[in-house]
Amino acid sequence: MKLRTLIADDEELARRLLREFLKGEEDIEIVAECGNGFEAVKAINELKPDVVFLDVQMPRLDGFEVLELVESDAAVVFVTAFDQYAMRAFDAAAVDYLLKPFTRERFGASLDRVRARMGDARVALPQNLKQASRAPGEYLERLVVKDGPRVHVIPAGRLDYAEAQDDYVALHSEGKSWLKQQTISSLEAALDPRRFLRVHRSYLVNVERIVRIDSNTKDTWVAVLNDSSKIPVSRSGHLRFREIVGGA
Amino acid sequence: MHPVLQNWRSLLVWMGAWIPLGAILVLVAHLSGPLTIAQSAAVLAPAILVLALVCLAPFYVCRSLPLRSASGAKILLNHLAAAVILSGGVMLVGRFTASLLGLERGFAPAVPMLAVITLMIYLLAVALHYAALELEAARRAEILVREAQLKALKSQVNPHFLFNSLNSISALTAVNPEEARQMCIRLADFLRTSLRLGERASVPFAEEMALTRMYLDVEQVRFGSKLRVKQDVDADCADCDVPALLIQPLVENAVKHGIAMMAEGGEIVMSGQRDGEWLRFVISNPFDPEAPSAGRNGLGLRNIRERLESRYGGAARMEIKVENCSYRVALTLPVRVLR
Repeated sequence: MKLRTLIADDEELARRLLREFLKGEEDIEIVAECGNGFEAVKAINELKPDVVFLDVQMPRLDGFEVLELVESDAAVVFVTAFDQYAMRAFDAAAVDYLLKPFTRERFGASLDRVRARMGDARVALPQNLKQASRAPGEYLERLVVKDGPRVHVIPAGRLDYAEAQDDYVALHSEGKSWLKQQTISSLEAALDPRRFLRVHRSYLVNVERIVRIDSNTKDTWVAVLNDSSKIPVSRSGHLRFREIVGGA
Repeated sequence: MHPVLQNWRSLLVWMGAWIPLGAILVLVAHLSGPLTIAQSAAVLAPAILVLALVCLAPFYVCRSLPLRSASGAKILLNHLAAAVILSGGVMLVGRFTASLLGLERGFAPAVPMLAVITLMIYLLAVALHYAALELEAARRAEILVREAQLKALKSQVNPHFLFNSLNSISALTAVNPEEARQMCIRLADFLRTSLRLGERASVPFAEEMALTRMYLDVEQVRFGSKLRVKQDVDADCADCDVPALLIQPLVENAVKHGIAMMAEGGEIVMSGQRDGEWLRFVISNPFDPEAPSAGRNGLGLRNIRERLESRYGGAARMEIKVENCSYRVALTLPVRVLR
């Protein structure tokens, strides 16, 4: 059986090079080529390829966001000119990380790793492994959510608060809310802790939105946001808040 | 703190310089009255010591009255007044010492001459301090320029641009060797020219635009029909003098953060006009406000702003306008024509 392969890169020449290197491989069949992140998400979800060659910097969505949005256990090989994403790539369970430009031998080695991975009884990766940990001091600037067939992008600054709902988080932004399959803890880890505060086991709040904190019962509080939503604040959440605003 | 007072050696050298100056004062005192050389030296020693220290004072005065800040008359008047007061003070010290030694009568005839010489010495110290401050300022300005050049050069050759271009060449070698060779040559042209221009403080606008063209030629191969360029630069801008590597980084920004992040690409529009004493350059590009960030932004722009500031003071302007889906940078520079 052939390995159904998808190429996602915004540069035509970069795609052409991959195509050329793959041409001689008997067991490879190219099923799609995509020039931006949206196309890649759509094609991966529809075609369920076995192998994805994925550029990091692309229009619309970057390679990591594409991986977050697809339901796929394809073997992913990142192909990029940037070396600083290698850690994130392996956290996102990539099979290999190819630095442009690369030799045919290096590409061959990458294909061998892909084939080795295919031989394994494949285990679906836990979702939170895909929401990659990142370099210290580097946080998500935007969140991507699948909204039916479409993809919705929320800049981090426009997120008001997030609420845990079983295996999902509800992201509240500008009066609307979006469901995303992710744990609130992994979302918390991905966002800048100076801007987003875990005020409660189930709530993560954009600090800038908090207008005041009212006392509720003896050990609980309520954070009032500027759109007057009320968020429960636990004892430890209240402590964390006081740490951030300097003990006031 | 005065630099002379900062270590013992420089203080010793400074005091040493006062031995011949003091000798002149002693000689004048001896020649204009009945005092012997030894008596004159004894009377004047404390006064000379005071004068040596007082002549360090212009350091502070000169710094608060820089040559370029105030009118010449004001500066002269200030220092003259200080000189009169200080030489008077030094004479009082001399008088006091003389009275202690019982030599008042012998010292009196020397006072007018000594006062004039002291005044002259103080004014000379003022002039020396101004000269030293100017040298220091010139040296600092030069360091700033060097630093800016180095920074510009470092930010110039963007490694990812290089790697992506090399990858394009790698892709072209099999399908279109001729095009691959072309691309190598374009890349070499661009790198060579940008290193050459980077060594110079300023270049004619036309040369900077030629470099920009070389850069776009390389990017054109990478992006193909996604990258479109419209350029409308008046001929009389060509020999205006601009800082080297000023325009090309702006174009690179437009490609990296604008065109490269648009699925369907877009058009970069550049225009240049000369309006009397001013050169006006505008570059605009479409961008996708929802695009994932393409790495560090604004660093290149800040570098340009700093360089304009150090080069033109407040005279040059850089305006950035972000509107809907369009990013626009407008530069207004004072024209300096080469030759």
